[in-house]
Amino acid sequence: MTVALATLRTAFLEAWSNRRGFWFQVGIMAANDVAWVIFWVLFFRKVGNLRGWDTHKVLLLFAILTTVSGTGLGLLSNSRRLGELIAGGQLDAALALPTNPLTYLLTRRVDTALLGDLAFGPVLFVVAGDPTPERAVVFVFGALCGTVVLVGFLVALGSVTLFAGGRGEQADLGFQAILIFASYPIDVFGGLTKLFLFTAVPAAFVTGLPTSLVSSFRWPVALGALGAAAFFALAAATTFRIGLRRYSSGALWTRV
Amino acid sequence: MNALAAQALISARRALHQRGELAVRVAFYAIILVIFSALWSAAAGANGGSISGYDAHSLLWYVAAAEGSVIATKPRMIESIGWDISSGAIVTEMLRPASVVGLRLAAELGEALVRLVCSLAVGGVIVWLYVGQPPSAAGIALFVPASFLAVGCNLAAQHAFAGAAFWLRDARSTWFLYQKLVFLLGGMLLPLEFLPTALADVARALPFASMAYVPARLASGHVEPWLLLVQAAWLAGLLACAGGVFWAGERRLEVVGG
Repeated sequence: MTVALATLRTAFLEAWSNRRGFWFQVGIMAANDVAWVIFWVLFFRKVGNLRGWDTHKVLLLFAILTTVSGTGLGLLSNSRRLGELIAGGQLDAALALPTNPLTYLLTRRVDTALLGDLAFGPVLFVVAGDPTPERAVVFVFGALCGTVVLVGFLVALGSVTLFAGGRGEQADLGFQAILIFASYPIDVFGGLTKLFLFTAVPAAFVTGLPTSLVSSFRWPVALGALGAAAFFALAAATTFRIGLRRYSSGALWTRV
Repeated sequence: MNALAAQALISARRALHQRGELAVRVAFYAIILVIFSALWSAAAGANGGSISGYDAHSLLWYVAAAEGSVIATKPRMIESIGWDISSGAIVTEMLRPASVVGLRLAAELGEALVRLVCSLAVGGVIVWLYVGQPPSAAGIALFVPASFLAVGCNLAAQHAFAGAAFWLRDARSTWFLYQKLVFLLGGMLLPLEFLPTALADVARALPFASMAYVPARLASGHVEPWLLLVQAAWLAGLLACAGGVFWAGERRLEVVGG
């Protein structure tokens, strides 16, 4: 844990060393988020209530989404690049260190722009999420569960590169799919698509369940969110560990 | 064959051979279509079948055309052009006996057209299966040249936008802003008729509408051929703008150094 925190601190300081660039990128991402807020406001202004969703609820979803992406993709930036790192031979350097390679890789790099998301999400929750102490606690709980599911899913997909080779395209597609599905109200999807969002691309656990929990807390849903987080954390760690046993080297000169 | 046509052809071939990347992009487009099909069908259903003159049928063809026209260009192109300029890599291109921006545009156009055709083929099948044939045959006939003009406008505008790096030395993250302008004011996420009237009027007067709204408006069954003239005018203006920015930027590099 100490090593992970120290690595994360170093990664953050590295990003912070260019202050002007840091604030510029954070600001740009916040402006990007504002554009999405405008989209949803315009959408619901025309459409009205949509299967129980209105501007208020969708902004809560967006607050959770930006917090989750800020944490899972901003602080743990390599979670989406694991397949690419493996394919590029950059895993070898981590294996030589006296620490867990997965933890090291995940905490090694911070994505400055996505830290803008991490700042924007809680602010949007305060502004549009009717914050009370209880709702704030559930918001943090939901965002943490969503983050673990997102990171776990991406790490598991990235680790497939250890078995299947390639350049991590499957992780890239998974990343795009989960993020975009998580950006929309889950209730607009029906039947098979909804099932898909609870299984193959678990976007429902990233934003759908947390939003539902903050709107109206229910213990079974909370346990479901927690269970999903535990499952994806375990799946990621296991896939990476088993893959590592089969891994020899990503060095380019070892490939025929 | 002149240098620009040869460059476009080589790039198109390269894009066809990068099957993994092409497949990921087309799959991403298909995912977006699935999401928007669900979203707009539900929205139209909740509003008695029609919103601002668009029913679910025309909305889905609108979305497929708007997304397909935009997704054909690389999302982070501004960033990569800006990087080539700020790192000085572009200097080597200035040694060639051909226009730097012309060759770059030709290369991007070749790749983008391959992606456009593949995306629209897949998108057309998905939407057709979901809601049936396009609302108007004449609209689709006009959509075909409009989608090519849309890609041209988008590429020229991105080069003009990224050319600012000759002076700013940094175009990082500005692609986010450009992208959102296309998403909202260009009508990619929402038809411009959904915006408040004043904002919609401003959006129609900007070049972003030529990149998404125009082809989508035509594909959604609104037969308005004069929109092609608007696109052609913007394409000429944006090409001149990109050419002017690169010309001035290259003179600056020659005088001040990279």
